[in-house]
Amino acid sequence: MPEVTVNNLRKEFGDNTVLHDNTFTIKDGEFFTLLGPSGCGKSTTLNCIAGLEEPTGGSITVGGTTFVDTSKHVFLPPEERNLGMVFQSYALWPHMTIERNLALPLRIRKIPKDKQRTMIGEALEKVGLSELSGRYPHQLSGGQQQRVALARALVYSPTVLLLDEPLSNLDAKLREQARAWLKRLQEDLGITTVYVTHDQDEALALSDRIAVLSGGHLLQVDDPHSIYESPAAPEVAAFVGRCNFFEGTVAETARGRHAVRLGCVDQVVEVASPTTATVGSTVTIALRPERLEVVPAGTETDGVNRLDTEVLSSAYVGSHYEYDVRLGDQVVQVESNRPGLTGRVQLVFDPEHALLYAQKVEQSADERELLTVDH
Amino acid sequence: MATMTRPAAEPQRTDSEPEFRPPKYRRPFGVGRDTVVQYAVLLVIALFVLAPIVPTLIQSVRSEPLYEDGGVFTLDGYVHLFTDAGFGTVVWNTLLFATLTTLLSLLIAVPMAVVVVRTKLPFGRFFALTMQWPFFISSLILGFGWIIMYGPAGFVSTQFRELFGGVPWNLYSIPGMAITEAVALAPIAYVFCANALRQSDASLESAAQVCGAGPFRILTQVVIPMLRPPMVYSSILVFSMSVETLSVPLLYGQPVDIDVFSTFLYRNGLQSVNPDYSVLGAASVVILAVTISLVAVQAKLLKDAQRFVSVRGKATRPRMLDLGWLKWVSITAITFYVVFGALVPILGLVFRSFTLIFTPLRNPFDFLTTDNYATITRYDSYVQSIWNSLIVAGVGSVVVSILAVFAVMVARRSTFRFGRLTEYLALVPQSIPGIIIGIGFFWAFAYAPFGLGDVLPGTIAALVIAFGLRALPSAFGSIAPSVMQIGTELDNAARVSGADWVMTFFRVLRVLITPAFAGSLVLCFVIMLKEYSPAVFLSSADNNILGTTMLELWAQGSTGAVAALATIQIVITATFVALAGLLMKGKHHA
Ligand SMILES: Nc1ncnc2c1ncn2[C@@H]1O[C@H](COP(=O)(O)OP(=O)(O)O)[C@@H](O)[C@H]1O
Ligand SMILES: [Mg+2]
Repeated sequence: MPEVTVNNLRKEFGDNTVLHDNTFTIKDGEFFTLLGPSGCGKSTTLNCIAGLEEPTGGSITVGGTTFVDTSKHVFLPPEERNLGMVFQSYALWPHMTIERNLALPLRIRKIPKDKQRTMIGEALEKVGLSELSGRYPHQLSGGQQQRVALARALVYSPTVLLLDEPLSNLDAKLREQARAWLKRLQEDLGITTVYVTHDQDEALALSDRIAVLSGGHLLQVDDPHSIYESPAAPEVAAFVGRCNFFEGTVAETARGRHAVRLGCVDQVVEVASPTTATVGSTVTIALRPERLEVVPAGTETDGVNRLDTEVLSSAYVGSHYEYDVRLGDQVVQVESNRPGLTGRVQLVFDPEHALLYAQKVEQSADERELLTVDH
Repeated sequence: MATMTRPAAEPQRTDSEPEFRPPKYRRPFGVGRDTVVQYAVLLVIALFVLAPIVPTLIQSVRSEPLYEDGGVFTLDGYVHLFTDAGFGTVVWNTLLFATLTTLLSLLIAVPMAVVVVRTKLPFGRFFALTMQWPFFISSLILGFGWIIMYGPAGFVSTQFRELFGGVPWNLYSIPGMAITEAVALAPIAYVFCANALRQSDASLESAAQVCGAGPFRILTQVVIPMLRPPMVYSSILVFSMSVETLSVPLLYGQPVDIDVFSTFLYRNGLQSVNPDYSVLGAASVVILAVTISLVAVQAKLLKDAQRFVSVRGKATRPRMLDLGWLKWVSITAITFYVVFGALVPILGLVFRSFTLIFTPLRNPFDFLTTDNYATITRYDSYVQSIWNSLIVAGVGSVVVSILAVFAVMVARRSTFRFGRLTEYLALVPQSIPGIIIGIGFFWAFAYAPFGLGDVLPGTIAALVIAFGLRALPSAFGSIAPSVMQIGTELDNAARVSGADWVMTFFRVLRVLITPAFAGSLVLCFVIMLKEYSPAVFLSSADNNILGTTMLELWAQGSTGAVAALATIQIVITATFVALAGLLMKGKHHA
């Protein structure tokens, strides 16, 4: 099983640059996910690997074969790359039965009829649909179609499996079951898999490693834990999971601990972070709602960071409560197990749980409006 | 990046199964069959489209006919054209005719579109359907019908004269031509306006209604302004079609010496004893320049407008306004248009084919006969022309639809770098007047290689080529949207699983576009059965078709035989469309 090397991949549509010289390597047998908001260039990246799009610049190599290298004018057409691909719409050929859908790639590879039959049988077995081989695609449910598409992509033992949002057309409940099933199947087969999704939960649950894309830029490539716990940029923190951002100025800094004066309330909080920050510089503190805690005003706690606030609204969402509290003119989202807090409360967090970034966070106008309150 | 080479390294296969080799396609000199097919399609279409245009350009600057040696470069053709060939009057007549036609067809089409699409009208759906009639009936036949009914000696005119002592209209005039042509072209303007009205956002109107505006206010303040864009495109289209049309100006203008562009070419090329080919070439080039620029402008405007529509998102279903008593006025007007514009002339023509004398002065039922049909069956060449028409339409529609399928595939479903060019070339013929296609191929055969130039002229094959060119844009236009509805992921899935572009077409897309192909077949058959204008320059005793035979008989004054042939053409069209409809419906249910 091969390794996929993507080097300085660049794609322009006219004067619109969709991918900005991205470089990453997918390891042998790895479940690798491209994650990002829609329109960020995930499908374009995947299509460049598949050969359905020709990159403007860069190279892609799979297991020693150069698929494309613009500097050497090499381009291997998709039909000769021997990849398996599942599309968002499943793209089952509607005029062929399931069996014939699976047989086409084998016929193209000139595999003898009897061998074809066993291979199709095995592939359908893998996805648990052996008894449906005579049906037409429109006679199957969405989940079944998705599994047939997977079987068709796997039947000829491709070198790499490419999946473009394969679960997005399933309803929520089915999607979670399909996710677990897909993970098991990939582990069993050990096939190198590139998975595209805009769903962070899906990415976190399935992947060995995740590449976060935004606006065509590769922001971070890392395992799910690192992506969530130590996002390399505020955008990653904002996209993967929820996050509150505070602007502040560094007041004091020593041995990985920084005292930051918050812009919204004029109070100093302590943050532990390996990020280097110079005194007087503007920084952004990121805090996930579940790493914040609210306690009734006056409660004795031993944390260093305690901010006086008041509850704006609260919601019970089943597993926990969600509070919106006010910090200056800013709305802060908090997840808590404490029921029924109202009025004045204290916002508490551990310095180790705060993330520190040297850059400012660009918020959309909508976000800014929703997360701002009057005094 | 057509110069891309293939990687040297073989894919390393480390797995156990040796029979899983990725498919390999032969690429001698780095050129795969996909590329070969794509270039071949481009080449065929380019040849096909340029064949009539290039020789026309050359002829316009040569002193001798193309098929004769010894010509030299000259601009005399253009000089003559603009000084002494009477071309000034022709330009003026054409301008007048086209402008009047455009105004009249808008006058018919716009109110009708508004009334049919946006107001509560009894039989609204029926009226919308009747607007498709010109698709089935050629303007030549319509012209015959109008003359038989409303011409100076026409049935209706004579009756009118009997009753009131005179007729206030004169068909053999530019306004007369314009009225007939407008009746025939109004449905085009209607379709543009009706589509715009169907797509338009009803919330605007609801807002106006909430503010207390009555139906008339809504119509004039909200609906009509919305129609400005479709009115602009359809005006340009109708204008350019009336610039190129031959039938009505030929039938009405010839007896009274009114010449427009097309009849000027007809007279100078066919009827003069010693045609001046450089003048003919120059005139063709001038007319081509006019029609091509008109269609280019129209296409540009349409494209810009579509960009605008597509960002507007989903439109709600338009509300139906109630016009009250005025709806009966509307119904009367529409009925008047359909009955007197199309139904009376066509039925008159059909009736004329069964009688010897057709005038209100004598009871035509006393002269019922099948003699007109007997005249046709008596002469082999007349019968042959019916067969020729069927063969040209039958063979031609298949050939053109196949070519159009390939053109659409290359233009819309490939990464071929000249895909766009292929599409433009396939659509160019819609702006070439039929008569110029005829003249152009007539000259092109002088250049044809392998002695084809001696074989092709005067054959049915020549007509298949010329009529096919006329039908190509319609075939492309009918296939392209259906192909675009097939998701590209189906192609991509085939490509990734190992099929090259050619195989993707044959294994996956071919079956899926069968309905679109069948639709194109029917469309091309009807178009090519009606067509005749390129044939006036390409016909001989052997390859006469319905249209040219009718013109010939008309010139001889054999009105009854013309009516019989016209009836036959209408019956063939109706039968074919009905059968095709049945067949396709059956397929659909299966
Ligand atoms: N064929 C194309 N022509 C022009 N722009 C395109 C084309 N395909 C994609 N794009 C643009 O590229 C960007 C990335 O698209 P895509 O890779 O499909 O995003 P996603 O991450 O949602 O899969 C989008 O802004 C899209 O508009
Ligand atoms: Mg996508």
